[in-house]
Amino acid sequence: MFDCDAMRENMPLLLTESLDPVQREQTHQHIETCPICVAEWSAYKETWLILDKLPEVAVPPRVKQRFLAEISPAMAQAMAQTNVVPFRRGRTMRWLAQAAAVVIVGSSAFYAGHRIAPRTQLIPTQAQVTAIQPATPYYSIAESRVLPAASISPQIEGRPDIQNVQFSDASPLNQQIGVSFDITSHVTVTGRPTDKSMVRLLRYVLENEDRESPSRSRAIDWVRATYANVGNPDPEITEALANVLRNDQHQGVRIKAADTLQSMQSAMTDGTRDALVEALKNDPNPAVRLKAVEALAKLARSGVALDPDMVDTLRRKASQNDENVYVRVKAAEALSSIQPR
Amino acid sequence: MKHLNDQELMSIVQAGDFAPASELYDRYSSRIYNFAYRFLRNSEAAEDATQEVFVKMLKHANQFHGGAKLSTWLFSITANHCRDYLRKSENKSKEGEDVLATLPASAELSPERHMERREDEKLIQKALGLLSHDQREAIVLSRYQGLSYAEIAQIAGCSEGAVKTRVFRAMEVLRKALTGDSRGGDRCLTAMP
Repeated sequence: MFDCDAMRENMPLLLTESLDPVQREQTHQHIETCPICVAEWSAYKETWLILDKLPEVAVPPRVKQRFLAEISPAMAQAMAQTNVVPFRRGRTMRWLAQAAAVVIVGSSAFYAGHRIAPRTQLIPTQAQVTAIQPATPYYSIAESRVLPAASISPQIEGRPDIQNVQFSDASPLNQQIGVSFDITSHVTVTGRPTDKSMVRLLRYVLENEDRESPSRSRAIDWVRATYANVGNPDPEITEALANVLRNDQHQGVRIKAADTLQSMQSAMTDGTRDALVEALKNDPNPAVRLKAVEALAKLARSGVALDPDMVDTLRRKASQNDENVYVRVKAAEALSSIQPR
Repeated sequence: MKHLNDQELMSIVQAGDFAPASELYDRYSSRIYNFAYRFLRNSEAAEDATQEVFVKMLKHANQFHGGAKLSTWLFSITANHCRDYLRKSENKSKEGEDVLATLPASAELSPERHMERREDEKLIQKALGLLSHDQREAIVLSRYQGLSYAEIAQIAGCSEGAVKTRVFRAMEVLRKALTGDSRGGDRCLTAMP
């Protein structure tokens, strides 16, 4: 004799296929022969399926940034006070490693200086080597450099493989922003958001960083926040965003790029406007098309004269029956705001 | 670092080198964040919990023993943190408002379908809010993290039988909330061979 309550308690286990074979068989047999439990089982299955509609939520990138920022020497200090014995390089080994790093950095600069045009040469005297100091014995990466943007060429040659890109916001003291990354050593380039070198670097980061959507998405967020307070952002930034809009395979990134372009109207070039029109015409994702048409509508509202191709695209979108209704409405709105050329 | 298993990465951390921190975060942050988010139903609190869990992972690395799975250990830390948070704040959650504010817009759905999905999510979050903390912890770990009752028992610090009861009670509440089916409790005494 089996009580229905006992059988029902097994139902969640049946759903997760966690019952042992004997109990599973008994529970199924009971369900088949008990009209009340059949209904119960059906309701459980339905509930279980409904619960599946709650999607996974992406962890905001800032959480990782905050976490990594917290792994500081102070944290290591706290750990050293526990019973764990930290691994520390011997003094001799540390100095050897640092000497080797200096030789490598020096040799690389010498080699680079002879290999590429003089305008790309880093000026070693202005570089501040800040982390090759015994004060940070727990860092795994012992070599870090901070370079002022003025000391690097705005021209980035080749396609250096940059990794672990981090951003730091403008300091209230001097309005300097920072972009850090690893090449052979960890480098931080600091400068004003308007410095050409910084703009070039950000463009490179936007177009190349990691080729992974989360980090590019993070880069877009940061660029947007940084340039929100800059009166006239450099058009190279919007061109970089336009390239992301054209080429990134992740729809979420393309949405962000289009949205950010919308917030940088003053720096739009013909190229960026073309990218928005292309997105509106051809992007397979309706949300990207919506962001693109919103950007164009905003552009039209601002009084900028749109060229015939844009007007034509907007007209076709406004009347395209199988287009997303919001895209159509926004296209019509843009058309109504157009100033004659 | 990617080629090293969890145990190997933790051994490096236990030796005082935090270099694997980023890799460990990448492996588990999504599961930890989603567990905390569904348990606490508050995105800001879930962010704090996630950060805190990984800091604790480094700080108390010596308490991790190879016998257990790293994921189970991290879920234990998360569950403790969440329970503390709920106890301290007596968090009367905003009943799903937070969900609407934080879930990203889906790029592939029509606006109508998107709204529909948001409504579903809101409804489920509300239903999860009806559960006791213990029940919510158990159902979230079982339904969304796919953990066995034995693992959940280890995380919750209770017996497997208690987990079974919590999941069952949670399902009863959720069924009523999500399907409008308020039967439950009917008895039958069908004889089984």
